[in-house]
Amino acid sequence: MTRHHPDSLMLMEYSAGNLSEPHALCIRLHLDKCAHCRSRVDALDSLGAVMMEQQSQVSVSESTFDSILARIDSEPAPQPTPRTPPRSPLSKLLGDDLDGLPWKRQLRDVSVLDITDRFPGQKDQVILQKLCAGGKAPAHTHRGEETTLVLQGAFSDNRGVFNQWDFVVLGQEDEHKPVALEGDDCITLSVLSAPLKLTGTFGRLLNPFIR
Amino acid sequence: MMNNTSAHAVKERPVTTLDQKPSRAEGRKDPWSQLLEKVGKHQDRQAYHALFEHFGPQIKYYAMANGMSSHAEELVQEVFVSIWRRSCLYDWRKAAASTWIFTIARNQRIDMLRKMKRTSAEIQVETEDLWQIPGDNEDEPVTSLHRLMSERRVRDSLRHLPEEQITVIAKVYMEQKSHQMVADELDIPLGTVKSRVRLALNKLKVILQDQNV
Repeated sequence: MTRHHPDSLMLMEYSAGNLSEPHALCIRLHLDKCAHCRSRVDALDSLGAVMMEQQSQVSVSESTFDSILARIDSEPAPQPTPRTPPRSPLSKLLGDDLDGLPWKRQLRDVSVLDITDRFPGQKDQVILQKLCAGGKAPAHTHRGEETTLVLQGAFSDNRGVFNQWDFVVLGQEDEHKPVALEGDDCITLSVLSAPLKLTGTFGRLLNPFIR
Repeated sequence: MMNNTSAHAVKERPVTTLDQKPSRAEGRKDPWSQLLEKVGKHQDRQAYHALFEHFGPQIKYYAMANGMSSHAEELVQEVFVSIWRRSCLYDWRKAAASTWIFTIARNQRIDMLRKMKRTSAEIQVETEDLWQIPGDNEDEPVTSLHRLMSERRVRDSLRHLPEEQITVIAKVYMEQKSHQMVADELDIPLGTVKSRVRLALNKLKVILQDQNV
């Protein structure tokens, strides 16, 4: 059961098409599993439609319509094809075996995989983190904003329990010390707007999150 | 820019006469959605042209507002070709035509910008895997009523919003400005921008509760 959701302002930036690609991916994956947020985005998309209709004192020439007709005439008529179930964007990006990815173990309980290069031309860092079942990550704060989506398993920190498909944004002021729940390794997708900062004595050199 | 409501009242009624009397089940279907459905079911070019006359200028303005003036007509073309191709998938129970077309315009804009900046080999994640068109997700149950209500509700309550709130929303949606960029441009704190948006969304009843879900 998903209990942590993106806030309305972030969903609005999503609906407006203003988020970076990795942030949009986090939202999209959450939406796939969260009917509540889907209906919020539907409403925001309606707001977008109404904003678009507010101002249209421009005209479009008929020749544009002719060009459009020429294009659709040059391709076969659209047909409702029996649709195969759409493949999740996550499977397309990472395959179906998250455990089998080339993880880099950084601490006893923590493995990391940097997938920033899948999103060329943008500044955010995109990483997958795996905390083994029952494992602990060192305490850390965040130098910038970190957006996280739980892809598998669950973790808890001082804020509560974050289950699969839960969504959380942590800012500079938030220090946390995540612990994975027993049973399943916890895998998260995180988008970092700046590198993390360690607070524990343990971490400066070992911190898996700092590059 | 929001005070020309009388003009909108006229624009909201398509000139095209609807040759079928809406059935009971279609009672909530707006005229644009009926036209779009005709395009999807029968490749009806008259209906397609009526949609072009109504939404074409909106999409062109949308492109111009976010700095794509030199590609504005191109965006109109891309959006309409996409509307034609996808219209057979359109389900009025899942989104009003205007909402559906807005999401296609948004996605085509994003897609065009991505392709201008990168080679296709560099694009590993498709635009539509990031930004979804309503109704594309087959698993989704049809929960139509509040969706159809929402657009009407948004349009009605937008008239009562203070100008400063509308300005912020317009910049976010039409000029693709982040909340931070809006704050910089209007020279007001980010917190003020956010609270204006929150107030507006609350009044628009777009927000379901952020907490206690």
